[in-house]
Amino acid sequence: MADLYSYLLVAIIIFTIGSYGIITQRSGIKILMCIELLLNAANINLVAFSSFNGSATGQVFALFSIAIAAAEAAIGFAILIALFRIRDTINLDNINILRW
Amino acid sequence: MFSDYAAAIVLLPVLAFVLTLFLGKKLYSGGAPLPIAAIAGSFIISLGIFFEIYPGGVVQQSWPWFANLNIGILIDPLAVVMLLMVSFVSLLIHIYAVGYMAHDPAKPRYFAETSLFTAAMLAVVLSDNILQFFIAWEIVGVCSFLLIGFWYHKPSAAAAAKKAFLVTRVGDVLFLAGIVLLYVNMSELIAGRALTPESGNFILQFKTMFEAIPYIDSGQLTLITLLFFGGAIGKSGQFPLHGWLPDAMEGPTTVSALIHAATMVTAGVYLVARTFPMFVATPDSLVHGIPDSLLVVAIVGGFTALFAATMGLVMNDIKRVLAYSTVSQLGYMMLALGTAGAVIGAKAVGISMFHLISHAFFKALLFLCAGSVIHAVGTNDIREMGGLFGKMKITAITMLIAALALAGIGIPFINIGTAGFFSKDMIIEGAFEYGEITGGWGWVFYGFAILAALLTSIYIFRLWFMTFTGKPRSERRAHESPNIMTLPLMILAVFALFFGFSQSGFYPYLETNFELMGVEIAGHEGEALHPSAIIIMLPVIVGVLGIVISYMIYHRRMLDMSKIVSSENPLYKLLINRYYEPRLSADIIGVKLTHDVAAQSGEFVDRKIIDGLVIDNIISSTLFQVGEVIRKLQTGVVQNYAAITLLGVGLLILLLKIGGM
Repeated sequence: MADLYSYLLVAIIIFTIGSYGIITQRSGIKILMCIELLLNAANINLVAFSSFNGSATGQVFALFSIAIAAAEAAIGFAILIALFRIRDTINLDNINILRW
Repeated sequence: MFSDYAAAIVLLPVLAFVLTLFLGKKLYSGGAPLPIAAIAGSFIISLGIFFEIYPGGVVQQSWPWFANLNIGILIDPLAVVMLLMVSFVSLLIHIYAVGYMAHDPAKPRYFAETSLFTAAMLAVVLSDNILQFFIAWEIVGVCSFLLIGFWYHKPSAAAAAKKAFLVTRVGDVLFLAGIVLLYVNMSELIAGRALTPESGNFILQFKTMFEAIPYIDSGQLTLITLLFFGGAIGKSGQFPLHGWLPDAMEGPTTVSALIHAATMVTAGVYLVARTFPMFVATPDSLVHGIPDSLLVVAIVGGFTALFAATMGLVMNDIKRVLAYSTVSQLGYMMLALGTAGAVIGAKAVGISMFHLISHAFFKALLFLCAGSVIHAVGTNDIREMGGLFGKMKITAITMLIAALALAGIGIPFINIGTAGFFSKDMIIEGAFEYGEITGGWGWVFYGFAILAALLTSIYIFRLWFMTFTGKPRSERRAHESPNIMTLPLMILAVFALFFGFSQSGFYPYLETNFELMGVEIAGHEGEALHPSAIIIMLPVIVGVLGIVISYMIYHRRMLDMSKIVSSENPLYKLLINRYYEPRLSADIIGVKLTHDVAAQSGEFVDRKIIDGLVIDNIISSTLFQVGEVIRKLQTGVVQNYAAITLLGVGLLILLLKIGGM
């Protein structure tokens, strides 16, 4: 595992793309996709460190995180579909009825 | 040489799945040649491996996965016969489907999914450890869901797919629980140095599992095997999880043929056969000399064999009759493992597998014939068919062969007969020997087996006579199916007729299976029983009797059935409503238990207790007031929240760094 850094670099790049996307995008689907990027950047870190340290804990953790990401995506998309049915839009700027 | 490519048996159909899914639209017939070529490849490799390892060889390959688990391939006699059957039957069904699905617009999806289905089943068969087995088993489940709901725009198909998935899931959860329990037990044994697997062997591999059998606590072993059997009950449609199989008829007929013959349902029987040494090793606390788990297997199998056959008698949907017939025949296979397993040990696996494979041939043939009939007349209802013999001769004759095989017709003593004659006879004889040895209530299984054989013969010939003989009962123009559909029928008919003759090689070959794995199965050797002539002939006698009964009722119409087939007759009502099983699972479990009890009580707790006690007092009103102030912070722009979160986390890390981490 000489080049742990290259893995971390990939993770950082993905994480940056994801966070940039979350802040700039308006479409709910794009934001969900960006969240997936963040999660997967974290997963890469977990697996990279786990392999670097020679213990399986990080990989197990990554599996948990993948499962949770799947649940999160399912719920997120379900909410978006429900929203789209009611409001005919998934542009998050227009979805602010809970605002004061 | 072929064994080096064992992994390709699974990978070829997987590749075909990917290619067909994405490129199918542009190719001939929705990309059908791809899966056909891939599965033919799997079949050729399987055949090559068979000739390489026959007799007495095993292919083992294993790669470390993570921690103490591995991915591997194990092709022993048990696996190789399954591989041959699955790839061969699946290949024929795929060829047939080119004709059957010709007019369906969603062909690429169909062929991609069936290809994956076959791949998953092949992966189940050649797994060398129970975890990989389970993963492939789950993929089989997913594919069955996709294929049963293939016409998802039909509400009944969507519901059937959901039911199949949920019901088999019950079994799958039990199976998974069994694996977890096994893992816990085995890792304790390894930690305690009671069990030291050779280097290169992994914890959940079948051979390590079999090594561990003597050390596992016997109560735990019973529990583990029963949990495994729970998985098999779900997958193989045994009572009480049988309800999904008949409903699975909503998919295309070719899918039914795949599910019922080559893939899916046989996986449950295969699981029990695979872990058979564990079942045999369970203690005999209930009945002396009979391992507990095998007793359960025998009871469930024997009961299902008869129970499903009774429902097969009254169904009017051509595919439903066949579905119940499958449930019933799977019951026979379980019965063979349970009864014969208890009295003659490892040979029982051979008996059960022989029936599994001969059943695969004639059941695939029955379904494909049914598909051919449905294709021709455009209905599933046998009351609207009749007189088709003249119009579709090939289908009628091949289906007659399959029906004879299912009914187990043959000539005893000189050993000439259909595939079902040999395979079913052995099971019934096994049940007979069981009765001989245990005596008393042990005869129940034999009675069940014989009675189910009679019913089998009646319902399958009822189906055949009503479909092909008599006068047409509706104005439908039937025609024989195209060659691409009749050719697989004829090939399967040859196997349904002649496969039985391979028994002299089949049984000794499978008997070596567990010896090759290094497992001794203590069987009751005892003196070889010589059943009297009447016992040997009885299965055939009841088979012929069934044909005669059907002939008289449904062809010659010698009996007025209107009295029996009416809503006045409580027995008929019970059977046509399938023992109220669909209503039971929908109303009692679905509505009463889930909605009325669980959801309603949850609502009661939430509204009356939590809201009633907490919301209207100080806690909640304070919270409301605080919220009134804080909510001004909510801008309603998600991006702001995200940015603040990121900033916050960044700040936190910075603080931790400064704080001397």
